[in-house]
Amino acid sequence: MRFIDASCRLGMPAAPGEGMPWKTEEILELMDRCHIEQAFAYHIVARDGEVEDGNGLLMEEIKKDSRLQPQWCAMPATFREFLHADALGDAMKKNGVKTLRIAPKGFAHSAMPYAMKELMDFAAQSRVPVFFDYGEAVGDALYDLCSAYPDVKFVVTNTAYALNRFLGPVLDACPNLYVGTGNYVPHQGLETFCRYYSADRLIFNTNLPFGSATAAVSLVCLANISKEEKEKIACGNMERLLSEVRL
Amino acid sequence: MRYENLVYEQKPFDGVYVLDVHGHIGFEQGSQLGPHDGKSIVHTMDRMGVDAVCVSYSPGLRGDWKRGNDITAQVCGAYRGRVLGYAAPNPFHKDCDVSEYFAEDRGFVGIKIHGNIQGETPENDPRYAHAFELANKRKLPVLFHAWMPYEIDRAADVARQYPDLKVIIGHGGLTFAREHAVAVCKKYDNVYCDTAISSAPDGSIEWLVDKIGIDRVLYGSDMTFFDCIHTMGKIALAKLTDEEKEKIFGLNAKSLFGL
Repeated sequence: MRFIDASCRLGMPAAPGEGMPWKTEEILELMDRCHIEQAFAYHIVARDGEVEDGNGLLMEEIKKDSRLQPQWCAMPATFREFLHADALGDAMKKNGVKTLRIAPKGFAHSAMPYAMKELMDFAAQSRVPVFFDYGEAVGDALYDLCSAYPDVKFVVTNTAYALNRFLGPVLDACPNLYVGTGNYVPHQGLETFCRYYSADRLIFNTNLPFGSATAAVSLVCLANISKEEKEKIACGNMERLLSEVRL
Repeated sequence: MRYENLVYEQKPFDGVYVLDVHGHIGFEQGSQLGPHDGKSIVHTMDRMGVDAVCVSYSPGLRGDWKRGNDITAQVCGAYRGRVLGYAAPNPFHKDCDVSEYFAEDRGFVGIKIHGNIQGETPENDPRYAHAFELANKRKLPVLFHAWMPYEIDRAADVARQYPDLKVIIGHGGLTFAREHAVAVCKKYDNVYCDTAISSAPDGSIEWLVDKIGIDRVLYGSDMTFFDCIHTMGKIALAKLTDEEKEKIFGLNAKSLFGL
């Protein structure tokens, strides 16, 4: 089975534990070991708030290997801290960027339409999938975000084990919400998810380097679901989202 | 390469003894688990090639210790040899005595201490002493929820006070407190670490093996909080030899539990 990692991180973590594979070469070695064909990565400098600089560093870093694909961090253009939608679209097209990552909590801005309308209108129009960690839109905020922008494909990552009761009603209400499998670890989690919401809404990702690629691929390979469902999760769903991007 | 191949060939881990030292049954307050009864965990075990799992009943850790341990006993009885029990004492009830669960063959193999959900009771609190004395006398393993440095220190204090019992540091060998767990393992021969955590990065199991030796690392899944596949896969795909993986999967625990 081949995998596409829909979201991982490059760059030096603040406190890498000894043995943690965070260097790009180490990430690539793990990708080889885990049969991960491509990885969409964002840069830790961008995620830590220097958004445009970090996105630039990312473009330099991914030159090391064609298997690495860019995932830009984005925020509202208020106060000219980030590109306006038109300029963002041009820059993404020029750089071959097809996915975005937002961090409303991390970047300390509202996720509601009055604050993000321009950016989300762009995501809806260009059909660029928008990734965010669950911690960026917790509980009701997850519903607020997904329901406010029904034409945007959102992928929530880093959901851990205890969130199904939060996720379930939002998945029911918002067909534009997808779930990243990295660290989605409830007992029989993937099979239960497929039964209730279908494999079409699960997107393989690793959360490297903080998440585990070995665990992430194992969860899919060994899940009690069909071969077709596994292939959708491992790469098919992400390929479908990417094929819809219009930039 | 045997275990890497099993993952990618999507096959169960047959032909290797797998003993999960850190499992749970029962509903957990505040978080939605997957299926959490005996039948569903044995179904998962059958599918994955897990020989046995040691469990405690989660609601019993917080509340009615007697009911909780009785339910554990029922599940152990229903799935004899596949589901093994941890008896969980409660420090707030003076009449709590878990020795009855070991008086006959009811499938109990150790003690579970989870002080942080029992009124933040220190793991070495004297109110747990009866259970520690029982474990020391019978040379039983005691699984501690020991995530934080201070929890690990208190579990180490139990290892010091009761040299014949075996302390399993649950979670802590792979958390941010892992250096603490390593120091404790180096100081006390009767301390072991399990692998039960979802958030440890790749390389962490190899790191732990390097620091405390292959014989002190035990496979624990934290099922049914987590799917047991998560940690099984991490071990299977670790940069370790097949022989080392087999020790972690179950041979170390088999010896530790005297099975």
